[in-house]
Amino acid sequence: MKTPNVTCRGVGKVFGKGELAVKALVDVDLDIMPGDFATLAGPSGSGKTTLLNMVGALDTPTSGEVTIEGQPLGKLNKSELSDLRLNRIGFVFQAYNLIPVLSARENIEFVMELQGIPANERKTRAQQVLAEVGLKGLDNRRPSELSGGQQQRVAIARALVSRPSIVLADEPTANLDSKTTSELVALMYRLNQELGITFLIGTHDPRVMEHSRRHIELLDGRIASDTKI
Amino acid sequence: MTNTLKTFTPLAWRNLWRNPRRTVITLIVVSIGLWSVLFFNSFLNAWMQASKDATLSLLIGQGQIHAPGYLDDPSIEALMPPPSGKLLAALNDPRISNWVARLQLPGVVESEYKTLPINIMGVDPEAEKHISSIPGKVVEGHYLTSTSDAGVVIGLHLAERLKTGLGRRVILMSQNTEGKLSEQSFDVIGLFDADQATEDYYAFTGIKAAQQYVGLKNQIAQIAFAIPVEENLDPVLSKLKQAAPDLDIRSWKELSVYLATSDSFMKGFIYVWLAVVFSLMAIGIVNTQLMAVFERTHEFGLLRALGMKSRRVLLLVTLESTFLIGFGVLLGMLLSGLSIYALSGGIDLSGFAAGLEMAQGGQVLFPKLDPVAFLVFSLLVWLLGILVALWPARRASRLSPVEAMRYAS
Ligand SMILES: Nc1ncnc2c1ncn2[C@@H]1O[C@H](COP(=O)(O)OP(=O)(O)OP(=O)(O)O)[C@@H](O)[C@H]1O
Ligand SMILES: [Mg+2]
Repeated sequence: MKTPNVTCRGVGKVFGKGELAVKALVDVDLDIMPGDFATLAGPSGSGKTTLLNMVGALDTPTSGEVTIEGQPLGKLNKSELSDLRLNRIGFVFQAYNLIPVLSARENIEFVMELQGIPANERKTRAQQVLAEVGLKGLDNRRPSELSGGQQQRVAIARALVSRPSIVLADEPTANLDSKTTSELVALMYRLNQELGITFLIGTHDPRVMEHSRRHIELLDGRIASDTKI
Repeated sequence: MTNTLKTFTPLAWRNLWRNPRRTVITLIVVSIGLWSVLFFNSFLNAWMQASKDATLSLLIGQGQIHAPGYLDDPSIEALMPPPSGKLLAALNDPRISNWVARLQLPGVVESEYKTLPINIMGVDPEAEKHISSIPGKVVEGHYLTSTSDAGVVIGLHLAERLKTGLGRRVILMSQNTEGKLSEQSFDVIGLFDADQATEDYYAFTGIKAAQQYVGLKNQIAQIAFAIPVEENLDPVLSKLKQAAPDLDIRSWKELSVYLATSDSFMKGFIYVWLAVVFSLMAIGIVNTQLMAVFERTHEFGLLRALGMKSRRVLLLVTLESTFLIGFGVLLGMLLSGLSIYALSGGIDLSGFAAGLEMAQGGQVLFPKLDPVAFLVFSLLVWLLGILVALWPARRASRLSPVEAMRYAS
């Protein structure tokens, strides 16, 4: 039996207090296993982003516990949570994923610099991941000189450069046209298949779900279904 | 830390130029602010110097020697012989450019209309010309011609008050060596134009004539000396004190408390100005930096989400303001250096001379660049600027990643 990369046990999240309290997540139990390529769907407001934030150590649950690689997050302080995000989790957000004043390669190198990886190694690894996401030769372009799809590819390259335990993507294709969306999902799927990168992707988009190997459906903050495909 | 700086420096540099307009505004605010402090400082110093020179060159010199007790009670009993021996040798020190002996006696001057208090000054006209500006300020008639010249030179304002004038006679009265009042009439041979206090309270005559008039042989009341280089003042003073331990030897600072106080007041005033300018600058810096941070809310959220610690965000933003304010400071230094240099040939204020005369200011100012003040003020503005910019930087570092990310760019 493999140990899960991420576990959620009884995770709940309430925003606000009293009358205005919103139960964004209710008693969520979830195991993300190594090599999963999972999609997280559900209507708007069902709690997808909230759950991804919990799993990504960006926010803390009001009840229950999230564990990453056997490490319960509740026991970590802010600085340790930062380090965990830096070293063990990859993020791809909907848009504005990149630092605008840095080139594609510098954006990727920046995370490695924070990790303290030496310069020569940074450069080769950044070039390698850029090639993996199909952006060979675009190293020196600034985000403003890249298309939306290319920008998301850079974000994916950055997310996987430190071989994280999990890559969390929240609506990564929301701003892309359908062709670019298909290409991007195909890319993520290939990275999952070839490199064994674990993905959890929050999305509404049926074209994303097409490649899904595991489909999780949220409804009003609860897991309504969790099916392997 | 050095690695972090190496990573952040290029990033901070590029971030500076994301909003060139704002960067330029901050640069202007900082550089003009610093310029106003540095330029004002040297202008004020030049003005202080000019007004000090003007005052001291009237009569005081850089220092004076009296018999003990004279300054408290300037009577005919508290006089001293002319310098000789060791004191004379010390006075001829090359650091003393000139010195004069004077007989100064309190007395009254009387005309047909009025009797007014006065200091009767017996002087050596030739020597005075080298140390005092008064001989050059005679605007009607002429200055004294010899030590035994028994004419009197008085101020324009005094002549007006006495309703007397050139060629008329006035009576001078003063205590003589026998403890009686000497009374003698003198021809008014010259009128001088100086500040009102000097015009009102001094009447000049030949020193020999004055000595004779009160029954003295060669005794004097005062030696005034000029030391052109300020740094030489204290060493020469102690040398003189060694040469004449029984005499009362004082520098201009002790002689003119007013001048010494206004000197330190002016020096203090520049700090008041610095505080005012800096407060305005601080408002500008904090505003623009807060705006810069606000605009980049999403990006700071992203950086934190990616695992950058809050103190590194603080460092990054502080580095940006360090550069920004640093460049403003450099620009301000350059601007100040250039404008001070451009005016170092002298600023002619003779147009305002009437106003300045009241404050005994000189008419031409020579702003100089004081390197220590220059660097100290610049550094101060830089460090204080970084300090106030910490506030916006702290804001950036304390943003919650989730909240900041919800904030669309
Ligand atoms: N910071 C917050 N403060 C208050 N309520 C919040 C906050 N964040 C989320 N919520 C609420 O929690 C619920 C879940 O929101 P969440 O953003 O996770 O939904 P979602 O599934 O990602 O929706 P969408 O598809 O629109 O992105 C919603 O009702 C939302 O209004
Ligand atoms: Mg969402």
